[in-house]
Amino acid sequence: MIFFFENNEIHAIAGQTVGSALLENNVRVLRRTRFEGAPRGMFCGIGVCFDCVVTINGVANQRACLVEVEEGMRVEGFQR
Amino acid sequence: MITVVGAGPAGLAAALSAANAGESVELIESGARLGGQYWRNLPNSIVVDQQALNHDFQSGKVLREKVQAHPNITVLLNTQVWRASHKEGISTLHTISGGTTREIRTNKLILATGAYDRTLPFPGWDIPGVMTPGGVQALLKGNNVKAGKKIVIAGTGPFLLPVATGLAKYGVDVVGLFEANRLRRWIWQLPALLSNISVIKEGASYLHALRKFKVRVQRGYAVVEAHSGSDGNLSAVTVARVKSDFSVIEGSQRKVACDVAAIGWGFTADLSLAGNLGLMQQVSLLDGGTYVVVDEHQGTSQVGIFAAGEITGIGGSKLSLAEGEIAGSAAAGSETNTSKKRKLAKFASALLRTYPVGPNWQSWLKPETTICRCEEVTLEIIEKSVLDLGATDSRTVKLFTRCGMGMCQGRICGRSVNDVVARISGKPASDADRVSSAARPIASPILLGELAQIPIVD
Repeated sequence: MIFFFENNEIHAIAGQTVGSALLENNVRVLRRTRFEGAPRGMFCGIGVCFDCVVTINGVANQRACLVEVEEGMRVEGFQR
Repeated sequence: MITVVGAGPAGLAAALSAANAGESVELIESGARLGGQYWRNLPNSIVVDQQALNHDFQSGKVLREKVQAHPNITVLLNTQVWRASHKEGISTLHTISGGTTREIRTNKLILATGAYDRTLPFPGWDIPGVMTPGGVQALLKGNNVKAGKKIVIAGTGPFLLPVATGLAKYGVDVVGLFEANRLRRWIWQLPALLSNISVIKEGASYLHALRKFKVRVQRGYAVVEAHSGSDGNLSAVTVARVKSDFSVIEGSQRKVACDVAAIGWGFTADLSLAGNLGLMQQVSLLDGGTYVVVDEHQGTSQVGIFAAGEITGIGGSKLSLAEGEIAGSAAAGSETNTSKKRKLAKFASALLRTYPVGPNWQSWLKPETTICRCEEVTLEIIEKSVLDLGATDSRTVKLFTRCGMGMCQGRICGRSVNDVVARISGKPASDADRVSSAARPIASPILLGELAQIPIVD
């Protein structure tokens, strides 16, 4: 299936998490921190650390490591 | 009705033993499938050779199927308990599932919320590519995704071995496997080791498999710094030889190129719901972690609440199964047999004594090292709050600096902040301080709109 990260097409397998599908496509930086603008990616990988939070279909602060991909999903990482 | 929270090894075993004793059981799990972190149960679309990644896969499958097929057990998946409370023998669980909130009241509750990798802050640990072994394992076992191409595995504890072995079997270049503790520590635990031959065999099988892939465990080494490349991602780590207190042996540092470093220092119990329910907790002398206090039959300090698995002390899946079985039987009012648990607990203690975290990991830190990842609080900010503002405990430091107040609610940094503040202030962290840094009024985030659905009751 296909979903979008920052408007780029990403291919994934049903059942994969958003974070794992992005990593598989070599997307490591999921967002930037709000004070230092430092890049962050997946860290704990199991929903504990909240470092991989992204905006999914307009809903902010979703953990990329937990949410499973859906066809056409729109994922935004960076703060604008 | 018995309610079980968490469907990992402990929760599954608890649900089954309570159901077998004739009770009806409601099993609540936040994930989409049964099995927890240990037995990742996959949708059909993802094909992973689970047997290759978890030698114990088959027993998990059997247990899961028994739970699913049991007429007395109702399974609630994708259901997160975001808050719990206890009053006069009745526990109330506030759950959310697919945007719908619900309240579950029960007079018999078994808590089996498990644990997650313990991490230590070090320079560069916030660079994308630094992960936990559990996270890397979850990517592989749960998603068939290799976290990187050249992976360093480091930290301490037996869990590093299956993670490294799984990655190597899947064709990842494991460029280094660094265990901070030395093998000779086992000398003190020989009786425990010899009475658990199956575990020695398991360890040996991992070492044997790793040898085939030319991966050698380098003992007495730790990753003490991570470096990023021009793209901002991890490009290398600094590895150093460390003493038993984890201080660096000068001159031993060298760089190892990698795109992922999976670093874990044992496990931390997830005590969010235990704290909500007011369960008595204490700091373990074995590993310094905070755990729920239980009696021989897994009973907690609150009437009708039992706890099993990692939240009562880190001990691995077999001990979790034994504890779960006891908790299920005890909650159902049946006879329990605790001999197996006692034997496994002895071995778990031996493991914790063999793979401790030396206090001088703090010597790896630099003033600008991030301690709290969520709120971007550095060591120097914490130092300032102690030395200039006069904070002497973690709670005050938290109020001054916001460390531990971010989205993870101190799950990642809480334990380390206790240690850092204790060192700077020269005042050891009290048990109350450590227990309070694991206290979270809300166990998982909830939208205000979802909160607004809940009827107001006096």
